[in-house]
Amino acid sequence: MHIATDPWVWIAAILTLAIFSFLYRENPFYRIAEHLYVGIANGYAITFYWHRILVPSLFDPVARSPHFITKVWLIALAIIGALYFTRFIPKISWLVRIPIAILLGYGCGASIPRAVEAELLRQLQATIITRAHFAHWDTAAWAIIILIGVITTVSYFFFSAERKGALKPISYVGIVFIMVGFGASFGYTVMARISLFIGRLQFLLGDWLGLIR
Amino acid sequence: MTPQADSARVSFWTRLQAIDRRWIYLVLAAVVIVPLLFPFKIKPKATTPVQKLFNYIDTMPREKALVISIDYTPDTRAELQPMVVALLRHAFATRRPVGVLAMAVYGLGLGEEALSQVAAEFNAHATNHEDSIINGEDYVFWGWTTPPLTVMLGMGERITNVFPVDYYGARTESLPIMRDLRNYDDMGILVTVAASAMPRSWIVYAQVQFGVHLSCGITAVSAADFYPYVNSGQFTGMLAGMKGAAEYEELVTAKMNKEGLDWGLRNRGTEAMSSQTAAHLAIMAFIIIGNIGFFATRRRK
Repeated sequence: MHIATDPWVWIAAILTLAIFSFLYRENPFYRIAEHLYVGIANGYAITFYWHRILVPSLFDPVARSPHFITKVWLIALAIIGALYFTRFIPKISWLVRIPIAILLGYGCGASIPRAVEAELLRQLQATIITRAHFAHWDTAAWAIIILIGVITTVSYFFFSAERKGALKPISYVGIVFIMVGFGASFGYTVMARISLFIGRLQFLLGDWLGLIR
Repeated sequence: MTPQADSARVSFWTRLQAIDRRWIYLVLAAVVIVPLLFPFKIKPKATTPVQKLFNYIDTMPREKALVISIDYTPDTRAELQPMVVALLRHAFATRRPVGVLAMAVYGLGLGEEALSQVAAEFNAHATNHEDSIINGEDYVFWGWTTPPLTVMLGMGERITNVFPVDYYGARTESLPIMRDLRNYDDMGILVTVAASAMPRSWIVYAQVQFGVHLSCGITAVSAADFYPYVNSGQFTGMLAGMKGAAEYEELVTAKMNKEGLDWGLRNRGTEAMSSQTAAHLAIMAFIIIGNIGFFATRRRK
């Protein structure tokens, strides 16, 4: 057993235990750790935004650029960006729509064509069964299962027609696929939460108390 | 069975249904702690997506870089940090150039920690300059900038324009590694290690436009969401959760041992697998007992 002598390890360990204490019940130690986390996280982010974004991309170029037009552009864009803060002044809060509109326009223009390609066309392509799938029995089986899963699941979300006749059993199979999907997601979620718990215990038992390597 | 015995049985199940959740926490804590203190041997066998990523990195051209995007924050460190460490060991063991960037500002420290750790592991056994892993020559840590859309599109043109200085403040244009690492064309693969939807953004902006090879390491929570992209070939393999990390660690350890780099390095993902297995068994038992209790009490009502 080799207990850590590094004060930062002790601080991290005590804060971890303070957060875990919530499992017993709400208490002041948990509250302190929670507020400390929010404060430090915000302070860290603001510092980085200042030093890594505002200083090199705005303040320095405005101060040092030999081109007048560059300075004007940067200052104009900074003013537009600063309009986000008008939300806090009710009389002129409508001005916040300007940067939001610019960002939405830019974001949609850049995203929509690429998203259609990446999310729709490529995914549709992946459901097509080709001769190559039949090279091995398992790839063929998975390709057929995926095709059936996609068709039946989509049919479950087909709301333009009443679910009767052929659509009824097909959409029922779709429900089975959806439930299997939920089950897989739940299983993975359990695995994830346990992993995070193990990670903290590795720190407490190993890095802090030295009980494990 | 007598009515009294039946009543006692039902009252047991009723009591079990109303058990204080803190007892369950306690049992789970014990189930996780005991195997950490007294681990039993588990050797994770690589699943197809993990093997696929390993094979791709292992066989890609020597001059092509492995780029890792740190798209997670410290809260998911337990699952994702072992992946980054294993990927870096693989790249350094096979002498491939490495570039690391962070899309999450809180991930900067994690990226720096992983790079320092793995570089130190290799440098501790280096006997000359050729064996050493040197910042700016063998790897570069570009750091963080925002917004992600601009970064992803900009890196397709010129990385040094997006990251004029690296994490340590050096001009990226002056770094030797950047002479052959100009944009996506010089990358063998970009692995996004993420606890968010960022891998999807990499596909939409970097892959559709520039055709870069992508893979991802993700938290187990989001694994089910990303399997379709593995199936469609948009991701070359995938590491899902701590188990994915453990599988990759095993492959890298076997590779390093084969290359004569048997240094007995610590594999945090693999070490956690006995606790993970015990916890899963306990949760399965809870689910089965809970369901029996539910049906027993419902039948009584």
